[in-house]
Amino acid sequence: MFDVKALRGVDFILQNSPTRKKFLIETMPGGLALFDYNNDGLLDIFFVNGGRITEDLHVPENFERSDPRYWNRLYRQNRDGSFTDVTQAAGLASVGNGNYGIAVAVGDYNNDGYPDLFVSNYGKNVLYHNNGDGTFTDVTAKAGVAGGGWSGSSGFFDYDNDGHLDLFVTRYMEWDADHNKICGGAWKTYCPPGEFPRTTNLLYHNRGDGTFEDVSERSGIAAKKGRALGCAFADYDDDGFTDIFVSNDGMQQYLYHNKGDGTFEEVALDSGTALTEDGKAISGMGAVFQDYDNDGRPDIIVTVLPRQLFTLYHNEGGGMFTYQSLETGLGGLTSGSSGWGMSLEDFDNDGWKDLFAAQSHVLDNVQDIDSSLQYKMLPFLALNHKGHFELAETGVTTPIAARGAAFGDINNDGWMDVVIATLGGPPVLLLNRGGANHWLTITLEGTRSNRDGYGARVRLNGQTRFATATAGYSCANDKRLHFGLGDARTAQIEVLWPSGTLQTLKDVPADQFLKIREPEHP
Amino acid sequence: MITAALLLWLAFQNVSPEGAQHMQAGVDAYKQGKLDVAILEFRKATTSDPSLAEAYLDLGEVLLDTKDYPGAIAAFKRALELNPELDAAHLQLGYALLTQGYAEEAIPHLERVHALEALGIAQMEAGHYEAAIANLSAALAKHPGNPDLLYYLGHASGLLSKQTIDALMSAYPNSARSHQAMGENYYVIRQYPQAEKEYMAALQQRPDMPDLHMELGLVYAGAAKWDQAEGAFRAETKLQPGSAEAAYRLGSALLQEGKGSEARAELERADKLQPDMPETLYSLGKAASLEGNAALAEKAWTHLLTIEKDTSLAAQAHFGLAAIYRKQGKVEKAKQEMQEFHKFESKIPPLRTE
Repeated sequence: MFDVKALRGVDFILQNSPTRKKFLIETMPGGLALFDYNNDGLLDIFFVNGGRITEDLHVPENFERSDPRYWNRLYRQNRDGSFTDVTQAAGLASVGNGNYGIAVAVGDYNNDGYPDLFVSNYGKNVLYHNNGDGTFTDVTAKAGVAGGGWSGSSGFFDYDNDGHLDLFVTRYMEWDADHNKICGGAWKTYCPPGEFPRTTNLLYHNRGDGTFEDVSERSGIAAKKGRALGCAFADYDDDGFTDIFVSNDGMQQYLYHNKGDGTFEEVALDSGTALTEDGKAISGMGAVFQDYDNDGRPDIIVTVLPRQLFTLYHNEGGGMFTYQSLETGLGGLTSGSSGWGMSLEDFDNDGWKDLFAAQSHVLDNVQDIDSSLQYKMLPFLALNHKGHFELAETGVTTPIAARGAAFGDINNDGWMDVVIATLGGPPVLLLNRGGANHWLTITLEGTRSNRDGYGARVRLNGQTRFATATAGYSCANDKRLHFGLGDARTAQIEVLWPSGTLQTLKDVPADQFLKIREPEHP
Repeated sequence: MITAALLLWLAFQNVSPEGAQHMQAGVDAYKQGKLDVAILEFRKATTSDPSLAEAYLDLGEVLLDTKDYPGAIAAFKRALELNPELDAAHLQLGYALLTQGYAEEAIPHLERVHALEALGIAQMEAGHYEAAIANLSAALAKHPGNPDLLYYLGHASGLLSKQTIDALMSAYPNSARSHQAMGENYYVIRQYPQAEKEYMAALQQRPDMPDLHMELGLVYAGAAKWDQAEGAFRAETKLQPGSAEAAYRLGSALLQEGKGSEARAELERADKLQPDMPETLYSLGKAASLEGNAALAEKAWTHLLTIEKDTSLAAQAHFGLAAIYRKQGKVEKAKQEMQEFHKFESKIPPLRTE
């Protein structure tokens, strides 16, 4: 399916800094973003770095992020497919020594046409405004989105459909270096999440003036504490408001139903998205909220640790989901899997979204404990045959300690590619070999809706995508909406914008990058 | 110190007045908790009446109370030299020797007085596992549910098992049974590749030996290799078509592979072979649900709930029923099932991650 290629010009090494003290953050970074920061039509890559950790780490932690080895990195893609490190010139070098990097989100929060970056950390989070001239400005203080604690996967979405992207930030647990624990007895392993107290997630409302209001309490998001690692957005009950799914580690999952009045209600147990079909909690890592079976409704898939199964909640309509990991074949393929970043993308352009997951066990010495498990693993790819998943080769032959994975069409050939972040190592690029099928890639431009069109429901030849750059674990995907068309040479497109405007396009030729602008008047 | 009081009375039969005085003083001091004084008085009694076995017995018992085991052992031994029929001294000496790790030496003393619990422990410590199991079982029959006895009996049984297997592997290191035993050992410590290797070696020699395929299947299941587990369990069902467990295991593997119809058939067969097994009923409900047969799933789980009320399987059956009712739009019934689920949810074991 893919060729494993070098990212020419990219010399990034994800510094997670593992120690014998097994500080839990060491095994958790790996965010990256595929986005076009300079609007030149080419995807650029932003990597979140961890930081330096020493065995005598104490509060207040110093991760030495001022050392260039521990910088986050922005690489601009050049016309020849190579990349140039523009971190310093872009103003992204300094992130604060007290911040250990975890994840990144991308969204044009001020609707100026340039994608902005939100980097979540253990420590304080950072919002970078894209100035449109190749540089970014840290606007965290003004925006009021620094948060605190251990933040992870985040995403921009417009929960109140006011045309301004709001911000959701997951938080993992109450943890700091002084309260770290080592588990596993003589094995000395990272502790499971249950060893640490739960915490709340954060929701920020975009006021539209460059500032945000923390509405975590008022919206009901903070009413429940959890151990969140992933988040994904879609309107699952078709009420016109974007809902939030949160994958929690070692406990029930959360589904926040957007009530449309600025508040959310957590409904996972009642909707069938909290547990397995056995009523068991899962180690929820990454999450995706898209329609895998082309019935028009967004389903949920959660990556988990081995001995569990990648969890698939099928959207039955009426706000109800059923656990269908076994029915879809996904269960039989993933009982040995340890998944992190993932997404549902149509890699073979046959009109059905396939599932790709970055894999690696959370414990770097797991093989000593159970010789049938490995720390470094090959990525997982299952091709979707009309709703049934079948294992496929990725092309990666050397196991890696993968964490985040971001998805997009790096070389603009109409076929979806993957970039994977690996702990202690360089990123891995999987370039899609392509094929004969046709495709269409859509860029949304909201006018009354948010400019990115996040939250729009796009239907195309019987397929449905919910516009978002957020999926998987800690990553931001190419925001363009990619559709495989099989042998179809034209497409019928229907866009339901967050503003409520329904827009249709007929007989659109295949094999093109199409921009759809929201009508300014309904 | 009942023994001391009783023996005191007996001792007075042949004791000198001075000895009797010291014995009485020793008993009084002991009753007042003045152990040092009691020891002194009993020592004086042994000096004034050096042939008085009971004085040594009482002295030994007080020394035991002060944790002076060597002193107590010497006193009990002297008591038995003077009166080998003194059962209380045998009992106390047996306890003292066992406490100090002299298990072999303690055995004859404990045997004489039929102190089954201590005798069983001593025999276990001395490596006489079969005798230990017999005596601990007899003691347990007298004291059902005693946690110490249950522990020691389990421990002794394990040691006997290990001893027997060691003997097997020493005598026939390359036999199928030795490979099977090694496979079992590796399986327990989750060394699945090694366990698989041993079972394959055993099967090469005796492909028709009962349970080998089943155990190999469990290894594959432990490693989540469900297609291979299916193959192994299927081989076992061919060898033992009357085995409900083999049918259940095969059904469970098929279930993991998402083969609902085949799983349901095999689990129904398991249920016929051995009806009313909660695990089978639960999995049968899951297989039926996987097939989209809500009626059969409801029937299996409802039946399970007549057998189990407050276990993890019962909680899971309630959870499954709630999902069925939710899908059928029976909101109130679903709510009731979820309420029952929450009552026993904590009994559901967490999913393994490594």
